[in-house]
Amino acid sequence: MSTQGGPTGNVGMYVGREMLASVPEDRRDDYLRLVEEISDLKYQLGVEVARQLPRLFQEQDDTAVERYLDQVRSIADVGWKSGVEVAKQLPDLYHAPDPRIADAYIEIIADATQGTPDDDETQAFSSELEDLERQLREIEPKQQRAQELKSLLAARDRRDEKRRKHAQELAAALPPILARLRARHREVYMREVRLVASADPEAALEAANTLLDLLNSERLSHDGAAEWTRRGLDVLEKNREVGRGYFRMGSKYSLDVLEELREGLALRQVARVLKLYATALSGRDVAVRGIDEMETVDRFGPDHIILPADMRFFQDDDRNFTAYKVAAAHGAARIEFGTYRFQLDDVPETVEALTERYGNSAA
Amino acid sequence: MAVETQRMEDFRLEAEPYYLPLGNEVELFEAAYAANLPVMLKGPTGCGKTRFVEYMSWKLGRTLVTVGCHEDLTASDLVGKYTLRGDETVWQDGPLTTAVKAGGIAYLDEVVEARKDTTVVIHPLTDDRRILPLEKKGEVVQAPDDFMLVISYNPGYQSVLKDLKHSTKQRFVALDFDYPTPDLEEVILQEEAGIDAETASKLVKIGEKVRNLRTHGLEEGVSTRLLVYAGQLIAGGVEPVVACEATICKPITDDLEMQRSILELVNTQF
Repeated sequence: MSTQGGPTGNVGMYVGREMLASVPEDRRDDYLRLVEEISDLKYQLGVEVARQLPRLFQEQDDTAVERYLDQVRSIADVGWKSGVEVAKQLPDLYHAPDPRIADAYIEIIADATQGTPDDDETQAFSSELEDLERQLREIEPKQQRAQELKSLLAARDRRDEKRRKHAQELAAALPPILARLRARHREVYMREVRLVASADPEAALEAANTLLDLLNSERLSHDGAAEWTRRGLDVLEKNREVGRGYFRMGSKYSLDVLEELREGLALRQVARVLKLYATALSGRDVAVRGIDEMETVDRFGPDHIILPADMRFFQDDDRNFTAYKVAAAHGAARIEFGTYRFQLDDVPETVEALTERYGNSAA
Repeated sequence: MAVETQRMEDFRLEAEPYYLPLGNEVELFEAAYAANLPVMLKGPTGCGKTRFVEYMSWKLGRTLVTVGCHEDLTASDLVGKYTLRGDETVWQDGPLTTAVKAGGIAYLDEVVEARKDTTVVIHPLTDDRRILPLEKKGEVVQAPDDFMLVISYNPGYQSVLKDLKHSTKQRFVALDFDYPTPDLEEVILQEEAGIDAETASKLVKIGEKVRNLRTHGLEEGVSTRLLVYAGQLIAGGVEPVVACEATICKPITDDLEMQRSILELVNTQF
């Protein structure tokens, strides 16, 4: 194949040099134009026509060229593959002994390719199909929505199932927690836990434990507990998991809120310093215990002192710490000198021990 | 080859070091010296062991060679080694050899810190042979009668990995040291730091309370030496709480809560 320029456009892509050479020179433009026109119908058709047309041009019979192109087009209109075959065979049939053969050939191939005209039933099928397809197109968004709703309902069902499961766990966990709760915190505690439980039973399980510790250890006042819960519910509303973390005291925000709401100096912040201080003063290993442990240990035990969980006497923590220090020193002295172990029979021994430790001025 | 030795007069104490006897340690030391017995001083850091040896050195009129032992100290460092001086190989006596030859007191401070091979050279000096073999030189130095070996040892620092063997311990007369009693420590503070009795009393009370924490997170209590430092800063015009924080709270622990509790003890006094 060679390319041809000029007015013939793309037809040069499938017209060979030898084909063009075989077309009479004065008819070459017509040849190229006609090939291009026919190839617009189908590329393969153009290729075949380009092969056959030169012999028709050589016969100098314009009527034959026109007849050939008309008949090829007529078949190509009903089936381009038949058209290609017809374009290939037709020039030979023009030279048949009986000039009617070519026309008869075209009619046979046309009928064979086109088939019988549509009957009413086919028309009805086609129409019904179009109608149904239209309806299906219209129904598709509804199907999608239905699927979405199914998923949403299934998720809610699972959520409700979880909720019932956690409510059941809360039912089992709450009584022993309540048994450990100090009576004076009961009303506030129940109110706050109920608020959380109605929002999310799983978070309520966490809140039940955390509020028990916060209230029993006096780390939060009743108002503080209510505010702490309210802030947690805000978090829970935005994100369940983060909210549960809040009530578990597992989030920084939760701790920050607690710190913000805390009133006074917490014992846990200074317990070790006070323990070391009391130990240094008394020369005994002194444990520091919070007031919440008072029910489980001897109030005047020989190895520990009991201090408030929070010191709230003063506005500033330095002075609250000094108050703790005074209480710790008092406790250390009680332990060192056995205040509550005093018996009259022990006086001589005590005086002797004090004299040995502090000199005659102690006696 | 040449032999270099240090001038022994450099190791003689001219002035009497201040030392307040805490018990019968002076008499025991003198008796051990008279009997040619080596002495081991046991006690916590800063309780006066080194000052005691200095005092005894002065009292007995003997030179004192002190070796601060550390984990890289070898037997060669103690007895001596050959060194190059220009084109010449020179034998350099170690401090122990110097002390043995001069007949003074050799004091190995915190001997347990030194490498194990040092005990090999100590042993022959501590029994009735009283000799110091210089293996590299092929020589044995016989210790004169007035030579005395003293080691110090802090039982509080020892561990499974660092402890004196019994075969070493049982070659020494042991003198136990501890922090002085409050009344004696007050006298020491007044004398050493130049502070008044009231300030000394307060510092001693702080020391006493801090020492109560020895088994509660402190490896050792505050030493008399640190109390003296505190007193010296106070005598120099430093505010007492600041002086105590710098000399007592911070040197003995890095535990911030422990520091704070000690500072509270200081605040109780000042």
